[in-house]
Amino acid sequence: MSSIDRAPVLVLGVGNILLGDDGAGVHLVKQMPRLSADWNGTVELLEGGTQGLALLGDIAGRSALVLLDAAALGAVPGTVHVRRDGEVLELSHRGCTAHEGNAGELLAVAGLLGELPQCIMMVGIEPLRLETGIGLSEPVQQAIPAALEAARQVVDEALLYLRHSGSHA
Amino acid sequence: MTRIVVDPVTRIEGHLRIEATLDGGTITDAISSGTMWRGLEVILKGRDPREAWAFTERICGVCTTVHALASVRCVENALGITVPQNADLIRNIMFLTQMVQDHVVHFYHLHAMDWIDVPAALLANPSSAAALQRSISPTWPNSSSIYFATVQATLKKFVDSGQLGIFQNAYWGHPAYRLPAEANLLAFAHYLEALQWQKEIVKIHASFGGKNPHPNYLVGGMPCSFATATTTSSSTTLTIAKLTELRTIVQNAIDLVQGMYIPDLLLIAGKYPDWRYFGGGLGNFMAYGDVPQNGINNPGQFRFPQGVVLNRNLRSTSPLNLADSAQIREGVGHSWYVYPEGITDLHPYDGLTQPRYDGPAPPYSNLDGNNKYSWVKAPRWRGIPMEVGPLARVVVGYASRRQEFRDVVGRALGYLHWDVSSLFSTIGRTLARGLETSLCAQWLIAELDKLIANVSAGVTATANTALWDPSTWPKTPVKGFGFTEAPRGALGHWIQIADGKIANYQIVVPSTWNASPKDGRGQRGAYESALMGTRMMTADQPLEILRTIHSFDPCLACATHVMTPDGRTLAEVKVV
Repeated sequence: MSSIDRAPVLVLGVGNILLGDDGAGVHLVKQMPRLSADWNGTVELLEGGTQGLALLGDIAGRSALVLLDAAALGAVPGTVHVRRDGEVLELSHRGCTAHEGNAGELLAVAGLLGELPQCIMMVGIEPLRLETGIGLSEPVQQAIPAALEAARQVVDEALLYLRHSGSHA
Repeated sequence: MTRIVVDPVTRIEGHLRIEATLDGGTITDAISSGTMWRGLEVILKGRDPREAWAFTERICGVCTTVHALASVRCVENALGITVPQNADLIRNIMFLTQMVQDHVVHFYHLHAMDWIDVPAALLANPSSAAALQRSISPTWPNSSSIYFATVQATLKKFVDSGQLGIFQNAYWGHPAYRLPAEANLLAFAHYLEALQWQKEIVKIHASFGGKNPHPNYLVGGMPCSFATATTTSSSTTLTIAKLTELRTIVQNAIDLVQGMYIPDLLLIAGKYPDWRYFGGGLGNFMAYGDVPQNGINNPGQFRFPQGVVLNRNLRSTSPLNLADSAQIREGVGHSWYVYPEGITDLHPYDGLTQPRYDGPAPPYSNLDGNNKYSWVKAPRWRGIPMEVGPLARVVVGYASRRQEFRDVVGRALGYLHWDVSSLFSTIGRTLARGLETSLCAQWLIAELDKLIANVSAGVTATANTALWDPSTWPKTPVKGFGFTEAPRGALGHWIQIADGKIANYQIVVPSTWNASPKDGRGQRGAYESALMGTRMMTADQPLEILRTIHSFDPCLACATHVMTPDGRTLAEVKVV
């Protein structure tokens, strides 16, 4: 209940699993635990789903945030995108106003409150199908191993950053 | 004649398009179109009814708890399962928490921007803001000049960064903004305070729901356990100490609603008195009711009463029956669906969701209100269009002669020196949301105290699992309905179960009622009706349309959630 003792790195999977590839981030975060053995309490995995501002308390007080999401950036479906810090915020600024439950808006509000983690990363998979339905499309499904590997790398990168910046990791 | 298109309406969940016809600055016709198709019902067919809640709670990010609640209730209704009192209490606590959190966030984060001009807060004198704060709410702690100067500096830094971000799609400087600069600063400060506060209140959901942010529900009760003197405590059990800790969070919520939300609401309403004459709309109100005091099958003992009010008649209510096929029926006369030959409307038990789009190929400039124009169906009660939501609940409570409803309404309107008919308006709807929030916060502590008393007395049962195993279920097909009051209004789930599986599932969400297009008889829905007669200052800056639409707190659900590179979520406003 208190935010003392919370892991400095939050891996947050967002998206709607009822809308096909939109749920890619949730599928990813559910498969992360098998990677996390050596992270030893420094990394927390959370399925954010379609929650927007209700996640504000979860990201506050973290040193690093790794966002897993579907990212429609006009690439070939199944492309794995990795974005860091300003690039993530840049993306979120553009798409942040129409929908309440939007990760971008969550980041913008956290920024306004001065509670944005110092280090923000995003691993996204370019979606193919965003219609009502459970399950990922073929190209997105095939991209999962590569996206998990990318996620593992950015988490390690975040941990390295924390050690060097003297944060509590 | 001028045609205005607002697409999408921003600061809502989901995708909504409004087209309005202006004649001499006044709206003479309006159509409301849901431009995305949500076919969740199709996903649920053939699944285990006991799991339906877990799918429905993911329909959208805002209504998690309420969909899960309506879902477990419809399965319990179909199978004849009654839940222990503690389960009702925990559900009530979850429900009321959601209501308070969602309403406060809606007001400050989404709707207040229609009334407060955020950049204008930079022009305020912090001492004047502090004086204003002390005059409207003397006990509120953050009331110093230094505090408001700090908030102003935060805003200035944000604006100077050039990234207006969350504030970019608004009509700042619009002549219809009428608050003095210090009121804008005060409201912006409270916007920040509300965001800070809501981080705390969601902890109540996490405590009872087991996990955050998608709480666990259970057909037959709630999946919580309590540690008592005779049981050992573990990280998953709730203790009296923990429940008492939650009481502090609830007390903070009461303080925030009474000390900040209500005074701000009255301040804003007082500056926009003309808005009590616009946006009233249909004048027919429906509430399914919730917060049972003696089980869900006794609507007479709900804290939110159930009923229908017709033609703004505050003297009586009509009874409501969700199972009666003559009452709630959905038509598709102007919606992009087909029904079998000769059928114009269906009760949700027999509901069909067969999409057939015959609108113009996108991108199009206008929809034709004489043809089909929306993905939203047209639900009706005995053929009559209904408004649902905070105003409906308050009006039904008032007409049901519930004293606590009459008290909060009387106090607010007395302060403003307004007549009770002021409720039937855009600002009345916004006011009603705040007034019911104050009731919900009080009820929340009462329900929590009842739970604490039960657990202290050793009454710890939270679930009835006698009919958990499908082999105990009836061999013949059964059907049931479940309902609740989502923050946005009456929410119903209807299920048919056969051979242990879901044979049919239909959801009628509150925004289906409010965002409804015209029905087969040409009767407008609630948004459409509320926009009629609205006077607009400038056609290409439709702030007045947003005020009325936002007063309903639209949720068109299923917001696709991906980050887009092209900024297509910016509202397109066209005047043709």
